[in-house]
Amino acid sequence: MNKKALLAVCFLVLPALAAPDQQWVLAQSTLTYFVSHPLHHVEGVSHAARGKGICHEGQCDFLIAVPVKTFDSGDSNRDIHTVQVTRAGEFPMVEVRTKLPETAGNSSTIHADLQIQFAGQTAQFPQVEFQLTKQGNDIHLTGTIPCKLTDFKIEPPTLLSLPVKNDIPVKVEMTWHPQ
Amino acid sequence: MNVKGVKFAVLTGILLLVFAVTDPLHAQTPSASLSGVITSSAGSAVPNAKVSIKNQVTGQSTEVQTDSNGKYRLQSLPPGEYGVSVTADGFAQKTATVTLSAGGEQKADLALTNSEASPSGNQAAPSNNLPNAPSSTSKTEPSLNDLGFPASETQGNAKQQALLDKRTHMLKIHQRMGLITTAPLIATIIISANAGGKSTSSTDRTAHMVLGAVSGDLYFITAYYALRAPRVPGTKTKGPIRFHKAMAWIHGPGMILTPILGAIAYDQKSKGEKVHGIASAHGPVAIVTAGAFGAALLSVSMKF
Repeated sequence: MNKKALLAVCFLVLPALAAPDQQWVLAQSTLTYFVSHPLHHVEGVSHAARGKGICHEGQCDFLIAVPVKTFDSGDSNRDIHTVQVTRAGEFPMVEVRTKLPETAGNSSTIHADLQIQFAGQTAQFPQVEFQLTKQGNDIHLTGTIPCKLTDFKIEPPTLLSLPVKNDIPVKVEMTWHPQ
Repeated sequence: MNVKGVKFAVLTGILLLVFAVTDPLHAQTPSASLSGVITSSAGSAVPNAKVSIKNQVTGQSTEVQTDSNGKYRLQSLPPGEYGVSVTADGFAQKTATVTLSAGGEQKADLALTNSEASPSGNQAAPSNNLPNAPSSTSKTEPSLNDLGFPASETQGNAKQQALLDKRTHMLKIHQRMGLITTAPLIATIIISANAGGKSTSSTDRTAHMVLGAVSGDLYFITAYYALRAPRVPGTKTKGPIRFHKAMAWIHGPGMILTPILGAIAYDQKSKGEKVHGIASAHGPVAIVTAGAFGAALLSVSMKF
């Protein structure tokens, strides 16, 4: 009887332990940065982000990356200037990393510690709030990352000798799909 | 002061102004620095490791030794792409490539493997040791390679950045010169009322001509910096900049035609004649030219 019970445990539990880690893929995204100048309010949008999350032992590691040059503000001259001023010629990608518990997807609000690599610098953004909504198996996530130019040692661009404001909040809208 | 004297003074003024505005062209490029920690594959610091870096373009090399904590730091380096080579007793040589940007401090932490473990003795650094690359080799942490971006999108290029820096620098001068040009241009238009028509004052005509000449000279300096700014291949022009560029097709020829017509009109007035023939188009052409110039300026300054 004991042997049978042990075998049953082995058959039921071991496959569960050996089960492949849960993975998430970024299915859709809209990232919008906001820049404020006395004469302009500029928004740059990118839908080109790609992301992946790998969960293991209850913890998920996420990486989201987007090429700087894919942000479109509606003015090609400004976009080239953005690429220049953020040194995207040398550091073409924005990379965002975070770790979340696997159960985070069950909450309606999460607070994530973000590590962002941008313009050759790495900055930490603790406890950034995101709203989560479930859409079938997918998870839709929205939030705003309170970025500043100084976080990445970016010299504020000027127009007519007036610099833009230091705050460049980035609005995030993402849909994650389980694999 | 006679007309020649006025012209000389104006030209001297323009030259001084241009030197003052374009002086940043000669400004020294800020230097960069590189620092990091050299560790063994087990993660312990490697003191007295020799860190050599070589500029890929100039071939200039610099060397430094790590301290007791395995740390090293190289300062006052010209920006650019560098090959990094690390050697230490008992370890295989490690190489990597880093790109240093002007004014920035780059980090390159490198892990050395035991010399027995690497018979070839020369191993390229894995990308995760380099700045702007995935920070961990953790089994569960996704890397940039997992996301499927083409290499052309993820790899930096110091030459591309240098081209963008030059472009921005020239366009900043273009912008500044455009604003400076506006002042004499407006003054030229204001005093034009007394320069033509029934006025017989040669002083007003001369002042108008001189201010017009100053405006024209500054205008062509402004245009030079826009035309000579490097183009970024593969960029499709869109947004207000399209209108800004379109206006140049009006004010550009206008800035050539206006002084020619003005010179004919000046000559006719100086002979006591009424402005006639093609010279009578001087005023309307100047107004259209100034209008297009103003519209071009506003198109990139204001959001419509």
